Amino acid sequence: MFSDMSFRFRSLFRRTAVECELDDELRFHLDHQVERYVAAGMTRAEALRRTRLEFGGLEQVKEDCREARGVSFVETLGQDLRFGLRTLRKAPGFSMVTILTLALGIGMSAAIFSVVNAILLRPLAYPSPRQLVFVSQANAKAHISDVGMSYPTFSELRDHNRVFRAMAGLAGHALTLTGSGEPSEVNTVVVTEDFFAVLETRPLLGRSLLPDDGKRGAAPVVVLSERLWRSRFGGDAGIVGRSITLDQRPFTVVGVMPADFRTPFFGQANQEWIPLAQDPVFSAWMTRPPQDHWMPVIARLRPGVSFSQAKAELDTLSAAVAKKYPKENGWLTGIQPLQKEIVGDVQSPLLILLGAVGFLLLIACVNIANLLLTRATARQKEMAVRIALGADRRRIAWQLLTECSILGLAGGIAGVVLAWGGVSAMGSLLPSDLPQIHSIRVDGFVLGFALVLSLAASLLFGLAPVLFAARSHPQTDLRESARAGQTRGSQRARGWFAVAEIALAMILLVGGGLLMRSFLRLMSVDPGFEPDHVVKAEVSLPQFQYRNQQQWAEFLDQLLSRLEAQPGLRDTAMAAPLPISDPFVVLPFAIAGSPPPAQGQANTSHWTTVSPRYFEVMRIPLLRGRLFAQSDSMTAPPVAVISEALARKFFPDRDPLGQHLIFGFPPNGNVSREIVGVVSDIRDASLADNPGPMMYVPIDQDPIWGGEVVVRSGLSESAVVAAIRTETHRIDKNLPVTNIETLPDAVHASMAEPRFHTELLGLFGSIALLLAGIGIFGVMSFSVSRRTQEIGTRMALGATRASIWRLVIGESAKLVSLGLAVGIPAALLLTRYLSTLLFAVHPSDPLTFLVVAILLTLVALAAAYFPARRAMRVDPIVALRCE
Amino acid sequence: MAVERIDLPQGTLDLLILRTLDLGPQHGWAVSERVQQMSSDVLRIQQGSLYPALHRLERRGWIKARWGISENNRRAKYYELTRSGRRQLQVNKDAWEKMTAAVAQVLGTA
Repeated sequence: MFSDMSFRFRSLFRRTAVECELDDELRFHLDHQVERYVAAGMTRAEALRRTRLEFGGLEQVKEDCREARGVSFVETLGQDLRFGLRTLRKAPGFSMVTILTLALGIGMSAAIFSVVNAILLRPLAYPSPRQLVFVSQANAKAHISDVGMSYPTFSELRDHNRVFRAMAGLAGHALTLTGSGEPSEVNTVVVTEDFFAVLETRPLLGRSLLPDDGKRGAAPVVVLSERLWRSRFGGDAGIVGRSITLDQRPFTVVGVMPADFRTPFFGQANQEWIPLAQDPVFSAWMTRPPQDHWMPVIARLRPGVSFSQAKAELDTLSAAVAKKYPKENGWLTGIQPLQKEIVGDVQSPLLILLGAVGFLLLIACVNIANLLLTRATARQKEMAVRIALGADRRRIAWQLLTECSILGLAGGIAGVVLAWGGVSAMGSLLPSDLPQIHSIRVDGFVLGFALVLSLAASLLFGLAPVLFAARSHPQTDLRESARAGQTRGSQRARGWFAVAEIALAMILLVGGGLLMRSFLRLMSVDPGFEPDHVVKAEVSLPQFQYRNQQQWAEFLDQLLSRLEAQPGLRDTAMAAPLPISDPFVVLPFAIAGSPPPAQGQANTSHWTTVSPRYFEVMRIPLLRGRLFAQSDSMTAPPVAVISEALARKFFPDRDPLGQHLIFGFPPNGNVSREIVGVVSDIRDASLADNPGPMMYVPIDQDPIWGGEVVVRSGLSESAVVAAIRTETHRIDKNLPVTNIETLPDAVHASMAEPRFHTELLGLFGSIALLLAGIGIFGVMSFSVSRRTQEIGTRMALGATRASIWRLVIGESAKLVSLGLAVGIPAALLLTRYLSTLLFAVHPSDPLTFLVVAILLTLVALAAAYFPARRAMRVDPIVALRCE
Repeated sequence: MAVERIDLPQGTLDLLILRTLDLGPQHGWAVSERVQQMSSDVLRIQQGSLYPALHRLERRGWIKARWGISENNRRAKYYELTRSGRRQLQVNKDAWEKMTAAVAQVLGTA
């Protein structure tokens, strides 16, 4: 009917539902009114005209209606977003810098958080992980805690407790797999039969272990990992029931565990599981007495049993064990969540890194707040005009916050991309023995963290401009804007931001500096031996084939003499274990003729069995007496060489030479050996651990099933390794040669964790320094441009260039001193938490603090240099005319 | 039309709308018509302020809207009183009566 009008109306209308309804309603009204006038006798044209006249401005009515019904949040947001995107597009430089800064902060935080998440937060990947506990023993009197237990104690606890659904012990051992390609060592987890029941994980194929498999005399069985099954047996579906050869002995494969199944404490290297009773080494350990606390034990709590209930029960059982085995008096059994035990001591370094990266993000936020404030000042006129035109202050604040959130989200997204890259880059940086290292990834939780972080960050840095806008006074602003006026408040806020940045950067730089200094100290530490030009390789003897000490000694002698006969390999020796690269062995000992140590306490020392030329090859100098000789054979009187530290500690006022020590690697525990020499100290456990007592025995008198070949040679690593492999296989072609490494590499690898901390904190510190520099530069250059007229006036009144220079540099110096005044005490307060990560550096190391303070001052002055130069070049005439 | 029309005093629009809707659901056009009729053409609602007022009352929950078919067979938005609207009408009415009485009293004694 009134098609033209309807059409015209319709063309005005936007398509959102609420708008459509409003349109429909008003159109209905108008049509109705026109109809009415037409009915009253008007022409249509006149009716239309009259209606429109009466109704007033249609758009105005609609706007009033929208306002009356309160515009929906979503709609406002949409408008703000559109407007925000438009504004940001108009300032691409500003947006890019902001987004990049934020991406850096969020990316780093998310990357570190993904590590924290994988290691500390994500529950273990077993069913009902909260029920899993680590069962350990402690003796408060002897200051021993967190050690395993003997098999007899384990059986006692397992058979009599009512709190665990299942309980299992585990140990690691490498077995030699032959008959299926190259002979190779397979990392084997030796477990009691309930191991899989504790972890409640189903096999991929076949079955896991049954109670009968754990009995002595049972048929030997093995459970393979999916990886081993695929790599060595081609994923053969008929593997179950087949026999494989481990240490020259047949084992029947009963099952295959899925690839994502991991053994607690064993990283990803575990490749198969066998019952404890079937292992050539550990089966013999089952009969060890209760005072040998060797086996780590895990258990699963019965549903509904609380930790305290379990603890109470274990206390009772510990008392029963002590009654049965009086030597166990004073030992208590405790439990703690398995996750906590697995995570172990990486928790505090990780939290430190997370805190550090948080500071970095904070600096990034302060920097952005600074940028935004500069922008807000530049947009002061715009805001004043909008407020003068009737814009609601709250609405303007929302608009600004929306803008910040856009920046925040963009930065967050870029940060997640960065985190993705960071996590994979970190893979090579991370110490490989970090627990749960395989599960570090950017998952939903990390994404959520990044999102929350970016929103929180945008609120944080958005607050300043919003507060600033809320206080704006249109009249003065509009009037002042003619003179590029500034509120003093914003400049003061910017100054404080710079101070905060310097203080935060100080904290991070001091942290990074301390770790770096500690790392340098660690690198320059003398291990007591010379690793350069030494190659090592491990040869391990299958114990079903090489059953006794004679066979071991024979093999080792034969290998050594064959190697020494090779050109260039004269400096060859054998040892087990090697310092730093191998786990150390601690043995108790007694001094013959001295009273035994008090109950529950024992003299202990690190122990190594070595071939005679070991000390020469490793360049460990002899201090007194003699080194081992070929004549120290199995039939000769037992001898030992001790380290200086042992001599100093246990023979402070007498000559250790000629004295006898009673010790030995099991089963030769009680052999009395004459001390024939004293050598200088070495760092056995790690570079960071001070040298302690060492006992060396001749490998012919105390051989074990294999050892490490060490060769000091001018030949290349590969030539040396090839020779070792050839000679080993000439003796026995079924022997694997493994763990090949140069000693410098091994020493280097032992520093993976401190290196990781140092590199990360160093990186954070550098970024913090850069950001702080940018922040100061921003503040100073803005301050100079704001004061152009003032400077011009001063110059016109006779100020020299030097005094202008001092004015600008002085302002920067003031910011730095304030920043340091806050930063130094804060750093002193916080570096305490670093002390566990520091080696031979005090957390309040004055040199580090001094260097960092000087560095920050220099950066701040450098950042003020360009603005100051600009200030000096101000032409008073131009500056004054500007006004 | 001989009758002189007067514009509504501040604040009375809501009262009039509520009162009109008390008679039953109406669309916006009918509300303005009804007010005009009931006041014998003396009161007249500014069309431009009618709809914002309706939307405001709806937001406060005193009236609610639904789409229906009008007497001339078109889709129209009908408003009706809610329970709280009815209560509000009573409150407004009392206030109005009190005020007019007071004003009348003042005028009478002046």
